[in-house]
Amino acid sequence: MEKEKSPEESRKLLDKITFDLTRSIVKRDELTNFWYFILIMFALVGLWGWGIQVRDGLGVTGMRDYVSWGMYIANFVFFVAVSLIGFLISSALHLLKIKWSKVISRVAEQVAIAGVALAGIIIVMDMGRPDRFLNVFLHGRFASPIIWDVTVVTTYLTISVLLFYLPLLPDLALLRDKGSDDIPQWKRNVYRILALGWKGNAEQYKLMAHAMRILMILIVPVGLSIHTVTSWLFAATLRSGWDTTIFGPYFVAGAFVAGVAAVIIVMYMYRVRYGLKDYFEDYHFNMMGKLFVLVCLVYLYFNINEFFVPGYKMKTAESIHLSNLFTGKFSTMFWATQLFGLFLPITLMVNKFFRKPLPITIISVFVLIASWFKRYIIVIPTLEHPFLPVQNVPENYQHYAPTSIETMITVFSFMAAILIITILAKMFPVIAIWEYAEEKGISREIISEPKN
Amino acid sequence: MKKQFTLTLVIALMTVYQGMAQEWLVPDDQKGLTNPSEYNLSNVKKGKDLYMKNCKSCHGDPGKHNGLPLVPPPPDMVSEQMQKNTDGELFFKITKGRGGMPQFETTISEDDRWRLINFIRNFDPSHEQLLVDAPPQKAKLLASVNEVEKKVEIFAEVDDKNGSFVKLPNAAVKISAKKAFGNLPIGEVLTNAEGRAEYQIPETLIGDESGMVNIVVQLDENYVTDNVVLDAAKVGQPKPQPRLIKKEILWSTNENVQSWLLLSYLGAVGAAWAAIGYVVFQIFKIWRVGKE
Ligand code: HEC
Repeated sequence: MEKEKSPEESRKLLDKITFDLTRSIVKRDELTNFWYFILIMFALVGLWGWGIQVRDGLGVTGMRDYVSWGMYIANFVFFVAVSLIGFLISSALHLLKIKWSKVISRVAEQVAIAGVALAGIIIVMDMGRPDRFLNVFLHGRFASPIIWDVTVVTTYLTISVLLFYLPLLPDLALLRDKGSDDIPQWKRNVYRILALGWKGNAEQYKLMAHAMRILMILIVPVGLSIHTVTSWLFAATLRSGWDTTIFGPYFVAGAFVAGVAAVIIVMYMYRVRYGLKDYFEDYHFNMMGKLFVLVCLVYLYFNINEFFVPGYKMKTAESIHLSNLFTGKFSTMFWATQLFGLFLPITLMVNKFFRKPLPITIISVFVLIASWFKRYIIVIPTLEHPFLPVQNVPENYQHYAPTSIETMITVFSFMAAILIITILAKMFPVIAIWEYAEEKGISREIISEPKN
Repeated sequence: MKKQFTLTLVIALMTVYQGMAQEWLVPDDQKGLTNPSEYNLSNVKKGKDLYMKNCKSCHGDPGKHNGLPLVPPPPDMVSEQMQKNTDGELFFKITKGRGGMPQFETTISEDDRWRLINFIRNFDPSHEQLLVDAPPQKAKLLASVNEVEKKVEIFAEVDDKNGSFVKLPNAAVKISAKKAFGNLPIGEVLTNAEGRAEYQIPETLIGDESGMVNIVVQLDENYVTDNVVLDAAKVGQPKPQPRLIKKEILWSTNENVQSWLLLSYLGAVGAAWAAIGYVVFQIFKIWRVGKE
């Protein structure tokens, strides 16, 4: 925290910070409209595909008896993975008292909310009879990993929303009291309601800090669980490729890689689009880059364990699966994900140059795409090789390839996720104004004093 | 790998092929084979037994065209389609099968497969018919079950061709138990000079949950009668009902869930939501403080 400033200086600085950080809320130009148009259009196309799937059943997908988890589940795992970053940045790093991550907290929470919300939606979209969704709760079996997953996804979503909302309170009040007149009236009405009569007195700050602390501690086990339980959906079976004890940490480590990449991309977008160069500084990208290398190395370590040991033993069923990955049908995809998702980011980003905003964002795009395919590689090849021989079935039962309807619905999920992030950015400041101002030495009294 | 691929290709092709009910091609060297099994009464009879056991369920009774309605349909033994096959072709088709027609290469010995062909040829107009089934006679069958002694009592009569029924001695009566998917044969008795027979139901017969069994009584094919299906009687052992889902297994039902698992689940979920509830309460407190 910088030294306290004089009230005059403070007010001026606060005005500037508020002005900068509300630009995302105020700004509405051609590009905004175009962006919304594109997102909504593609999302609608996806929803239309879903309509067809609901009408005609899951037969419109490429999934059959053997490969009964296709692109949807791979996509689900991807979104759960991406959402895990919320827990890493806004809780774990906070608890470790790492300062630079504060600015990024809200971005991480946005990504987390979008990711976990979509994960839930994708599961419903993977259902042949979505009208029976409630049965999962009414007749769920406690011994089934699927129930654990449903539970933990809803819990994580709730905590993420709270973790986004609580530190938003002072900002909401600030915008309610001091927001510029450029902010549309309806948004300010929303702020007034959501601010819950925040006055910024010591007691309220204390309550907020207390609640935040509990949430941050709570999200550690829940965050770890969400992806560990997701990995158990696979690891609790006996299938080759899934039947491994390191699946939990392997998934969690992979999730951080995907999440860091997603957050960096979003950060870069905000920085460019909303002119936040002085907020998402080169320094932050640099630090994110170091974090990136760290999580990649951890993930690399798990990958080595996951493939080296079984690859050395080559047990009968396992060896079919592994040779399929290493040299067979999936080898291109497999090595590409390892190359773009691990080797390249690590080797490039140990170099300072590649931790600059633009290079690191480009790397992140590659990593994010690679981590999507990595989930595909985890789900599909195993299902194509059941223990019992595949016999007397039509050709399209033997191999899985996603259909255009599946692709449409998957595209929907991406559009919807980006839409959620966009709306959150358009509704609320992308960095906590009050926290940032406090860092800059502006006192709480000034932050919460009404407009003069 | 390559072998596997060819195999899948062959299976796939065969599936397509079957759907189109095309001509059944038999390799030339197989076509010309001659039946090494002599065409005599003994072999035809053996062939008939084999047919009854292995083929009748699909192909039906020879001459009655009552085979199963499969696509393509299993042809009747007397049909031209069947008889125009050479011995070699018949042998190949029975051996290898195709689509709905199973292969018998591994289940019926080569000698017996040739005997089956002896039997099929019994219906070939160009062969002398060795096995002539007398036209079936009309008969009447009465039966009752004695629950206490676990006995079936049978009385059979036959049409004496003058319009009246006389008692039927020395006829084979088949006893079966009616089950969900057909009749389970349990025994056979001969009627005595009085046209009567008694069948002792074996102790080991298993009935439904309370031991009830429907006994079915029938005469052999030489007689035309209605089968007698008796009312359910308590003559069998109660059916054991093992619980299909055991305790402590993967994906178990809620009644059988492992207690450690249930406790961990409820404990973890309860703790998490209690904490969330507490946080929501803090938010409520923030709101209340703001109102003051
Ligand atoms: C599961 C049912 C089934 C059983 C049991 C069965 N068949 Fe068939 N059989 C078929 C069907 C269906 C076809 C027609 C197959 C086709 O044309 O593709 C057929 C065809 C045949 C043919 C070829 C007829 C032709 O078109 O040339 C012969 C010969 C034959 N069966 C003999 C036998 C004999 C002998 C047995 C017993 C050992 C037997 N089948 C048992 C279903 C059965």
